[in-house]
Amino acid sequence: MSLSLMGYRSWQGKLGSSLRSIWPISRVSLQLVFRQKLYWVLYVLALMTFFVFFFGIYLFSQIDTETITPNRPGIPAQTANKFFVDIKNSIQKDLKLSGDVETYRNFYVLQGYYVMVVLAMAGSLIIGNDYRYGSLAFYLSKPMGHWHYLLGKIFTVVIFTALMTFVPALVLYFECSMLMEEGYFWEHLALLRGIALYGLAIAFVLGVLVVTLASAVRRTAPLVMIWIALLAICPVMGNLFVDRLGYSANWRLIDLWNDLYVFGSWCLNISPVPVVGQRGFIRRQPSLTPVLIVLGSVMVFCLVYLHRKIRAVEVVT
Amino acid sequence: MPLLHLNNITHRYGKNVVLNGVTLSLEPGAIGLLGPNGAGKSTLLKILMGLITPTGGEGTLLDKDLRGPAFPRRRLIGYMSEADALVPGLRGAEYVALAGELCGMPRKDASRRAHELLSYLGLDDARYRKLEEYSTGMKQRIKLAQALVHDPPLLLLDEPTSGLDPAGREAMLSLLSTLATQHGKSFLFCTHVLGDVERTCETTVILHKGKVLCQERTESLRGQRDDCFRLSVEGNTEAFQARLLEQQITLKVTEREGWFITLPEPMQTDQLFRLASQSGAIITNLQPDDDDLERVFHRLLNHAPAMPTREPTLLPFAQEPAHVA
Repeated sequence: MSLSLMGYRSWQGKLGSSLRSIWPISRVSLQLVFRQKLYWVLYVLALMTFFVFFFGIYLFSQIDTETITPNRPGIPAQTANKFFVDIKNSIQKDLKLSGDVETYRNFYVLQGYYVMVVLAMAGSLIIGNDYRYGSLAFYLSKPMGHWHYLLGKIFTVVIFTALMTFVPALVLYFECSMLMEEGYFWEHLALLRGIALYGLAIAFVLGVLVVTLASAVRRTAPLVMIWIALLAICPVMGNLFVDRLGYSANWRLIDLWNDLYVFGSWCLNISPVPVVGQRGFIRRQPSLTPVLIVLGSVMVFCLVYLHRKIRAVEVVT
Repeated sequence: MPLLHLNNITHRYGKNVVLNGVTLSLEPGAIGLLGPNGAGKSTLLKILMGLITPTGGEGTLLDKDLRGPAFPRRRLIGYMSEADALVPGLRGAEYVALAGELCGMPRKDASRRAHELLSYLGLDDARYRKLEEYSTGMKQRIKLAQALVHDPPLLLLDEPTSGLDPAGREAMLSLLSTLATQHGKSFLFCTHVLGDVERTCETTVILHKGKVLCQERTESLRGQRDDCFRLSVEGNTEAFQARLLEQQITLKVTEREGWFITLPEPMQTDQLFRLASQSGAIITNLQPDDDDLERVFHRLLNHAPAMPTREPTLLPFAQEPAHVA
């Protein structure tokens, strides 16, 4: 090892507040995630739902145009119209790509499954590695507290999740503004607020959950297993208790994803009780208050756990 | 402004007293903090960094109250941990720049400073390599770089030579000496190795069982053990041994490391050569014994062992370690 001829130079600047440490933590964590090719692949896969919706909305708007164009050469106008109307109805009924409230709620619900899988994989990279490789001691030895660290990490997951949920939903909104009826953008501003609230709720709740789980488990494989189990078994249990055994709708509170769905429905100002099947079977849902209590309690529990967990880290060994 | 002033600092974990009335006053400079495991070094570092608040006593670090908020104090400190504490996946320059940003430096400044420091520390070629590809020596240097990035007046160095080969250790020590002597950096050098402290520090503080066993100029500490020597002897070694015994010189003979002697108070080394000559032996090598910390502790505690602590192995001519108490 030799000293460079350049020599040591002092730095005369002024150090900023501890709050400034949050963004570098998030930025570096996102960098680390996006340096892995696997996450680009997963990210693109996670955007498949978005592409379906994006092109579906485009198709929906084009069908509207086609149906008002009579007598295309070679096809009787009546047949063509019936064909397009059938497609349109099918899209309207199943995917609800008409640009109304249900379009965005469906998008969030469907996108959520991918997000869960991607987050499970990314969790260990974003936070698990900090425990495994001692990076946490590096962060905590700096003039910042463990809350700054936690906020930085949660912010990372929030951004990562928002890139798969809120941002695409926003793109869909702008698409609808361009393709649907005139004045869509201004007339549906309340909807835009709902989209933002629902998107942020998903990002924040999943962010805190995945950071907590990654702190507890650290390694990718067990983290993925626990995460999937949590978000797959709980809905099955909830459905079993409420739909099959006829228990109170509050039993569905154990399904966090459904809780977010109820909260999101409230954000979008739409009933969370969908009618399922031809017999008009109604999936009973808990009301908003217990949902908020459950989500709030889970968040508080996770944050307390994280606080204790990080406080226990030995910076000086 | 004193670097560190501690007045009766005490810290307990439950009933376990880890620091027991530590009182210290240190001026800026290079300070060695020595102590065996459990002496309270780590706890003292935690208190200085504001990671824990002492349960008793008071003190200041660079005029900042140890019971006050931790962040302003931590901005004055660069901490180099013993453990790796790296961020896998990051490149060298990114890691150091991140450290700067975490300390509150603007991003551009942090990045520029990271490159400067990596050049200064001889890591130019490795600045774009991922941290997990670094060798132990490089890791130690980059850990020093991240501690220096915001140009703190005080460095807390936790075993900075740990895991280094002799050349790497020498280079690290010389780098630290340069930082202290030429660039006015103060540092608190925590280690088990007395030799490292001797090489770099002006003042040595020894902790033992949560108390300050000694706070002295390193030179004077060194002076206390100038009477211990290691020597290699050829010729009539048996006669020389006998002469040493007659002169009340403590002697221990080991097969691997040679002879260790402790001269009684007034005796000087030239008398040794005279004795060897009279016995028909030749001293081919004589050097001060690179004393280990344990012996210093024993001496300071007035429990100095009569013999050095190394395990004896017998030479063919001496079935027993020859010595006179």
